[in-house]
Amino acid sequence: MLSILKLKGNKMSNKLLEIKNLSIEFNSSEGVVKAVDNISFSIDQGQTVGLVGESGSGKSVTALALMRLIPNPPGRITSGEILFEGRDILKISENEMRKIRGNDISMIFQEPMTSLNPVFRVGEQIVEVLMLHQKLAYKQAWAKAIDLLDQVGIPNPSQKILSYPHEMSGGQKQRVMIAMAIACEPKLLIADEPTTALDVTIQKQVLELMFKLQEKYKMGMLFITHDLGVVADIADDMVVMYRSKIVEQNHKNEIFKNPQHPYSKGLLACRPSLAGNPKKLLTVSDFMTETGAEKKVDKHLLKIHQKDYTFSEKENPILLEVENLKTYFPIKGGVMGRVVNHVKAVDGVSFTLRKGKTLGLVGESGCGKTTLGRTILRLIEPTEGVIKYAGQDVTKMNQNELRQLRSKIQIIFQDPYSSLNPRMTIGEALLEPMIIHNVGRDKKDRMDRAKWLLNRVGLNANQLNRYPHEFSGGQRQRISIARALTLNPEFIICDESVSALDVSVQAQVLNLLLELQEEYNLTYIFISHDLGVVSFISDQVGVMNDGKIVEFNNADNVYRNPQNDYTKTLLSAIPKGLPAIQL
Amino acid sequence: MDNLKYFLKRLLQTIPILLGVCLIIFLLFHIVSGDPTHLILGKNATKQQMAELREQLGLNRHWFIQYLDVVKSAFTFDFGSSWATKQNIANMVKEGITPSLTLTLPAFIISTIFSLMLGVLVAYYRGGKVDRYVRVICICGMSIPSLSYILFFQWSLAYKLGWFDISGYDFGFPNFIPYIILPGIIWIILSIGPDVRFFRTVILDELYQDYVRTARAKGLNEVTVLFKHVLKNTLIPIITYVVIQLPYLILGALLLESFFSIPGLGGLILSALNNNDFPVLKAMAILSSIAIIIFSLITDFLYTLADPRVKLK
Amino acid sequence: MIESVLRTSRIIMDKIIEENPISDSLYKSAFIRMVKDPSTMLALTVVMIYTVTAILSALGMVATDWNLEVGTSYAAPSLEHWLGTDIFGRSVLTKVIHGTQVAMSVGFFTCLIAIPIGVLLGAIAGYFGGIVDDFVVWFYNTLSSIPSIMLIISISLIMGRGLLAVYVALGATSWVNLCRLIRAEVMKHKNREYVQAAHALGAGNARRLFRHILPNIFHIVIINTSLQFQTAIKSEVILSFLGIGVQGQPSWGTMIDDAKLELARGVWWQLFAATVAMFIIVLAFNILGDALRDALDPKIKGK
Repeated sequence: MLSILKLKGNKMSNKLLEIKNLSIEFNSSEGVVKAVDNISFSIDQGQTVGLVGESGSGKSVTALALMRLIPNPPGRITSGEILFEGRDILKISENEMRKIRGNDISMIFQEPMTSLNPVFRVGEQIVEVLMLHQKLAYKQAWAKAIDLLDQVGIPNPSQKILSYPHEMSGGQKQRVMIAMAIACEPKLLIADEPTTALDVTIQKQVLELMFKLQEKYKMGMLFITHDLGVVADIADDMVVMYRSKIVEQNHKNEIFKNPQHPYSKGLLACRPSLAGNPKKLLTVSDFMTETGAEKKVDKHLLKIHQKDYTFSEKENPILLEVENLKTYFPIKGGVMGRVVNHVKAVDGVSFTLRKGKTLGLVGESGCGKTTLGRTILRLIEPTEGVIKYAGQDVTKMNQNELRQLRSKIQIIFQDPYSSLNPRMTIGEALLEPMIIHNVGRDKKDRMDRAKWLLNRVGLNANQLNRYPHEFSGGQRQRISIARALTLNPEFIICDESVSALDVSVQAQVLNLLLELQEEYNLTYIFISHDLGVVSFISDQVGVMNDGKIVEFNNADNVYRNPQNDYTKTLLSAIPKGLPAIQL
Repeated sequence: MDNLKYFLKRLLQTIPILLGVCLIIFLLFHIVSGDPTHLILGKNATKQQMAELREQLGLNRHWFIQYLDVVKSAFTFDFGSSWATKQNIANMVKEGITPSLTLTLPAFIISTIFSLMLGVLVAYYRGGKVDRYVRVICICGMSIPSLSYILFFQWSLAYKLGWFDISGYDFGFPNFIPYIILPGIIWIILSIGPDVRFFRTVILDELYQDYVRTARAKGLNEVTVLFKHVLKNTLIPIITYVVIQLPYLILGALLLESFFSIPGLGGLILSALNNNDFPVLKAMAILSSIAIIIFSLITDFLYTLADPRVKLK
Repeated sequence: MIESVLRTSRIIMDKIIEENPISDSLYKSAFIRMVKDPSTMLALTVVMIYTVTAILSALGMVATDWNLEVGTSYAAPSLEHWLGTDIFGRSVLTKVIHGTQVAMSVGFFTCLIAIPIGVLLGAIAGYFGGIVDDFVVWFYNTLSSIPSIMLIISISLIMGRGLLAVYVALGATSWVNLCRLIRAEVMKHKNREYVQAAHALGAGNARRLFRHILPNIFHIVIINTSLQFQTAIKSEVILSFLGIGVQGQPSWGTMIDDAKLELARGVWWQLFAATVAMFIIVLAFNILGDALRDALDPKIKGK
């Protein structure tokens, strides 16, 4: 009883961090951009606040502002207060601020690969913080660093402390970053998308670790992420940012149960779930207009769609047959550069795919799913095996036959920023395949088709002479889809095609892909690391690990009744706290 | 063990390059240049004399044998004798190295250290007044022809003011010192502009890496960030930039040696040029190439010390 | 005078920008960015003035009478002879202008020889890899192992002294750096997704290399050209001074060579004229090179 009272009593005065009316501006070539617009929220001692938003919403800028690390120029805090333990850290000197950084407030960044200094041993980098803030002698600091590495779950810490960052895996590097951040037992830990670059099984371990450490040191934590599932697992309160503003903040359960702002509703609804999805994913634009006004959403749009796994020989003949496919990359070594070993990227894969159906290939980074996709197209030469497309063996085709094949099979890549040639206009990009394959009577004919395609994927046909950099990521991915469609292909390989997109945009692109499949009876191979996305779009699912397909079944069976151990591990690693959306 | 293997591999790789260097030099001096005998004997030579000389110089042998001679000289350092002075070329080179190095090495060390410090300083004050002034001075300094610097300083400091000897050289320590001060100063002035700009660019490129942000987030001050974290990461381009220049130090400072009458290798090259002394030029080309190849091996080796990611594999 | 030239060109540029309000390509936006910067504009203007002067001189429209005796020997600068006269009483101003032709021609022809070689070899080596790559890498490693001053001296000695030898010697030695850069960039770009996408669409090797990759790395060529041009000008001066450059006509290098003996007699104007002439153009190329790099290099642009 007493303890409850004490907790309640403390709650009033225990505000660790309070942000009041913070605004941040950036100077860019297009003028002044408001990156953060008058936001206010607070974090209590020992509390975890999840800051959620899509790219460009201002969440990372907010985090950097708390550390006073916004690059200036071009950034500038224009107004507001950041009260840390009641003291406005925007008003203190740079010297005093340095005493807070890494000591009272510390931060973990998104990219573990590049956030550690590559030329110093990880031990040195941890020791540095301890010597700086806790004034430990080198020897003591070293001993404590070993202890810290042990705490963050690095095996054999007294050995590993001597490693350089490049000798560690991504997950281990992020653990080192965490060790560095908690070294001085900070009161506030800021984590900016700390698990986004990690595989889902590693993500689970890192999240569990952070949760444990937070309990142990009673840290306040600001957890920034785009992934609602992660917030559901780790946060207490939740702050939703949209276009530089906070649109909603509350306890996470309140927001999940009863979101108030249409954007929050949209964000919750557009995420494909393993528990089943409607036929079309809802998107933010179903909930609100461009100007931000709320729209009424029909309840039946949320009805879970049952997938149809039946097929007919006539409608859905076998289109692609892959038998014992192997793609090995040689490792050269020795004085004369002999081939000493192979990386077995794809190691004996077999499956069949019927016309009009979608095969989802899912697996973690390095499992060989991307190599498999490119090998089927012969962008990479296979080492061994058979790829039969409509009865013809792709592996035996000559240059001419391959060129013919390229008009029937297409590929859409992951990164919309690098898959379009930056020096070609959208029009040129769309015309090129028609010119290569001599489709269309003349330029006007081709232009007409390009315009029609742009319209079909939901873009304005007048934008043909624009360059890729003038479009957003989602728009670029639509352009890539339009380009893939120019030659009326039968079969499209989508290689992580929605992974780089924000969830709301991802839902739109997924819907577009489904529509197009229905309209043109397209066959897809959909490669992704995201189990939710794969379960939404696929009929068949193949789970890949170490170059092999370890489990192959229809989508529902893979998720509801996994047989393989690896599949089970993968499924158990997905954050589970997120309830299904209700309206 | 791995290191030894790697070193052997790199050593093997230099063989085709060395053979290539010999090939280019052979092609230039034996094939493209045509018959050198009238260059040596002058216009009034008889056919008989020319034929004798051709025989004597071994020019009648098969071209491949002649190419092998060039390759052999690269390993034995036996380049025969000069057409102009009839002296043994290997000895001429040996005599020239000391004056060249006494001039270039101290100047090089001073200018590199000074430029590196200045480069870090302007990187620290990037965007500020110091940075802007230093950059403007560097870019202007780089745009003035090097010949003009030499002429101006020699004329003003040595001729007009008489602070230094106009030219000359004396062998042995410390006798040479008065003669190398002025050319040394000019060397330093000539190098600072490009050096500072290079170091500044390299450091600034590095400043935008993620790990720099991490270092700042730890609470480190800007000086530690710059000198500890950034500088060690820029060692690879800096080592490359510095070590690559070393073979050229042996080659001497062509212009400075000529102006200040320092009897170094630069002067040797110039007099060979003026006398159409093919064997000396050939020898200098081969020797300097060997020096460059050796120093590029050393550069590779230093990389592995500077950056743990560079594996000797 | 420079100010008025600057003002007119600014007005023209402003009009161009007004007529194309959308900055839709990298080069256009880079161009606009450079035009907005006064020092870059000044540098561009200087390069244009030197180019025009060089062309007019080559066409025999200015400075043809550099050999004419116009005054007494070593006349100091005066209203009559702005930059004084040389030992033979020839106008130093006219000689400097004629020297512009020599300098600019060396820059131009060096680039004309070096850039196609560098781009082509680098692109082919980087794109096709394998034995072709091994050969090209061996070739430029070999060539860059010989100090370029030794190569240049050897080539000019063998070809006979004169401008042609200078063009060939500088051209043959200065493609290596560009080749190395282009090769590395092509290797990076050939695995980029946009090239893979073109491959998947059925584009052949030539199309992928020339239509897709090269336009994306062309800024390197542009930046490199500005660097190479000024290096060539500097080299010409040194070669002329060493006596293996231009023969029988004045160049900045030979003028500085003359000054070596003149200074002791208090004759400073020939050195001064050649130095200033060269300083201005090299400075202009330095500024231009920096501006091009800032505007075109995507690595720097992000900052």
